[in-house]
Amino acid sequence: MKLSWINYISAMIKKIAYLLLGVFFLYACGSCGNKGPSDGKGLEEIPDDILNNGVSMISEEAMQGFVDNMSSPVEMAALVKDLDVSFSNKYLAPTDNIENFNTNFSQAFSLGIYGADLGYLNMYNKTNTVLDYIGAIKTLSDAINVGQFFDFTTLKRLAQNNQNLDSLMYISVHSFNEMDRYLRNNNRSHLSVLIVTGVWIEGMYLVTQVYKEAPHPELKERIGEQQIIINKLMIFLQNFKADKQFQSLIDELSILQNEFKDVSISIQQGEPEAIEENGMLTIVQHDVSIVNITDERVNSIIQKTEEIRNKLIRK
Amino acid sequence: MKHHIKTLLIFSTLFLLSGAVFSQDVSELTAQCAASAGDVTYLKDFPAKLDAGTPGGKPPSAKFSMLLSKNTSYRFTICNAPDSDGEAVLEIFDLNLLIGSTYNKTTGKDYPSFDFKCQKTGVYHIFISFKEGKSGNAVGIMSFVEKL
Repeated sequence: MKLSWINYISAMIKKIAYLLLGVFFLYACGSCGNKGPSDGKGLEEIPDDILNNGVSMISEEAMQGFVDNMSSPVEMAALVKDLDVSFSNKYLAPTDNIENFNTNFSQAFSLGIYGADLGYLNMYNKTNTVLDYIGAIKTLSDAINVGQFFDFTTLKRLAQNNQNLDSLMYISVHSFNEMDRYLRNNNRSHLSVLIVTGVWIEGMYLVTQVYKEAPHPELKERIGEQQIIINKLMIFLQNFKADKQFQSLIDELSILQNEFKDVSISIQQGEPEAIEENGMLTIVQHDVSIVNITDERVNSIIQKTEEIRNKLIRK
Repeated sequence: MKHHIKTLLIFSTLFLLSGAVFSQDVSELTAQCAASAGDVTYLKDFPAKLDAGTPGGKPPSAKFSMLLSKNTSYRFTICNAPDSDGEAVLEIFDLNLLIGSTYNKTTGKDYPSFDFKCQKTGVYHIFISFKEGKSGNAVGIMSFVEKL
């Protein structure tokens, strides 16, 4: 009898020890790399399946596939730079109101906004201004517990020394990619979607504002092409519409999406061609997409983009 | 019991450490591969660590969907990890049409990278697989070359 009690107590201790150990590892994994403070009112604590009431309208696989290069700050900035448009601070979101972003929703969204601006600054080698944006990104990424993906010391050093600008660009873009991958792989796709939406709206703002001053046909076409992206983005945002902040963002962007309704994109068919020159292979695509968009439509898209972007960055 | 806990702790630590080492290796490989792409701007990386396929079956592959823009030249580069058993192949598809590959099956020639001059904005699919369905570890890089 005494022995069975001892065995029972020993078994219980074992169970409790394993349970505690399990809790310890769960805690350790949950907080690994989470250096930043959390205000406790954040979406970062809420997994995707809870946020969307357990109903996923799209698969996790589909979520994985969507974000990649939906909106590339590098490409948007390169497009503008290639047209010999001078750099201007007026296209950037101000960094002095960062404390206004006090929810994880607004922090993730504005992280995307500043990420897009960082791409624009890097493209024009504006290393002095870059420091403000690196600081803003540090604050916001710490707030949503993804600051560990940014090597701020190196980024700051590269910017201050005005050297290795290629490295500055590489580290900036790679850090965003790593952070995005982490969020999507850890059931935090809702934050990833918000960041991408922020990047997209800021890239859209840059191109539309530049078009207002330099109405180049290529910019007009690029604005029209955004129909493809906003349609995809809305599908992914809808996944989280159970959250009222998401619903509010969806409502805002629906107005913009509506502006693209009569934009048409046709494809002129052609076979791809492979050319090898000096050992380097180049594939030339002969399918060509052609965007049909009226001037009136472009103007209304510009206006709506400006309104929505300015409203969202004031929050 | 102490022995059990100690064993569990050791295995758990090793498991966590192996993950950290793998991530570090991938990051190093990515940085090296991006640098080897030449005078271009890094945009995305596609890590692929795949098990061997079944004999006679389709080789396992990693898929990535990307939005590419008209009038833009992109460079796709593939790099094998030093410990990779198989040799990686990166392919780009427009829907189900193969438009570019780092490996020409007809000539048997490998290309460490190729440029893709995109003329149609849309979603493209990147696949990374290993020749003969072997297991392997590689990273693909997509870079921005220039506006056309």
